[in-house]
Amino acid sequence: MAVPTDVIPRRPTLLFIVVLSLLFVLMSFSSQTRYIGETRTMFERTVMTVFSPVPKFVNWIGGTAQDMHHGYLDMRRAVNENLELRRKVASLTTENLKLRQSEGDLKRLRALLAYSEQFDMQTSMAQTIMLDTAGRFKSIIIDQGSGDGVQVNDVIANANGLIGRVVLTTDDLAKVQLVTDNNSAVGTLVERTRRQGVLRGNGSTSVQLFDIPALADVQPGDRVLTAGIDGIYPRGIPIGTIVRAEPGQSLFKNIVVKPSVDFGTIEEVIVIHTRKISPAIVRYAP
Amino acid sequence: MRWLRFAIGLLIALTLHSLLDSFYPNALAFFNPYIILVAYYSMGGNILGAILAGVLAGFVQDAFSNAMFGLHAFSLTVCAYVVAYINSRLSLRGTLAFGACLGGAVIVNELVIYVLVNILVRQRIEMFEQTVLVKTIFTLLFGMLVYQLLTLFLREEPIEATRQRSAW
Repeated sequence: MAVPTDVIPRRPTLLFIVVLSLLFVLMSFSSQTRYIGETRTMFERTVMTVFSPVPKFVNWIGGTAQDMHHGYLDMRRAVNENLELRRKVASLTTENLKLRQSEGDLKRLRALLAYSEQFDMQTSMAQTIMLDTAGRFKSIIIDQGSGDGVQVNDVIANANGLIGRVVLTTDDLAKVQLVTDNNSAVGTLVERTRRQGVLRGNGSTSVQLFDIPALADVQPGDRVLTAGIDGIYPRGIPIGTIVRAEPGQSLFKNIVVKPSVDFGTIEEVIVIHTRKISPAIVRYAP
Repeated sequence: MRWLRFAIGLLIALTLHSLLDSFYPNALAFFNPYIILVAYYSMGGNILGAILAGVLAGFVQDAFSNAMFGLHAFSLTVCAYVVAYINSRLSLRGTLAFGACLGGAVIVNELVIYVLVNILVRQRIEMFEQTVLVKTIFTLLFGMLVYQLLTLFLREEPIEATRQRSAW
């Protein structure tokens, strides 16, 4: 355990005392200069300069680690915000679609309402629930029937024009024959010349106007309205526009009318409860 | 090689100092990494080397602290001398012996600083006893942990790595 005394160094003790004395002087000097503004001796500065890369490096590492940590936190926050915003975008998009739909509905309904107010007959609104405009027999089903006051031969129209007439009712539904149906016939007049004729469906998307003499002044672009002479359709409902008017082989013209209603997009309709003419009067033969 | 190890140790101590300063500014009031280095290095029993180590480590600590320049150099030199002197007479080995030397060194270090501050600056150090106690405990625990790690990584007794092969 004990170390031989001959190897114990003696001179280091002297050195120790010298070093301590020097350090004491240095400290005294340092403590004095500290109060006169010169807080750092040159020796102190030198030591700081020599070892300064270490704290700088540590500081850089710490700063970088903090930046990365904050960057990671920011990224997480951004990801969460992104998800939240995506959810909001989806929600707002849905809401926007609903509002647009509502706006469209409102416009249509306002137009329908304004249109229906021009009739002196009683009207009601109905919703189309089935459309059969592509088949041979063109018809639609509306959600109001005899229970709602809808009767056979009530006229169906919308803001664009005439759609057809009711041909069958149940308690809560009604079937409407479109003007484009083969069996449909409407008394009409050409708005510009007041020339009357009969409009018949031909099973396609257009209709034909009959009984217009070959010499009559009828041209493409003329608007065609209901004439109010058939005992079903009231006067003045727009039907469509003449797209072709050619001289036929007989005494009458071949006239094709493009309906003003797009039958593929019918939604709300107006039911015009027309004044019904007694069958006895219709069938009366003097 | 011994001085290379000391230099690395000094850099590590300074790194710890900087880290603690940056993230836990009050931590250095309870823990002193330089004294662990000096105590460890002085246990080799080489008094001259210990004095040099104490001065160097003290200067570095002084340069990066706000104390009078030379204060820690002085106190660490005293500690280094005491530990080296004891180890030049008694060949101490093992973690407990290191712990005892380190604990004593921490107390001596704090006492020297207390006396010097009182003499030179005429300032009273607040809560001196409590600070010494806490600093001794934390520095001792950390120092012994480091010593244990060194025992695992060095093939020889860690103190032997600091011992000069022939007496100076």
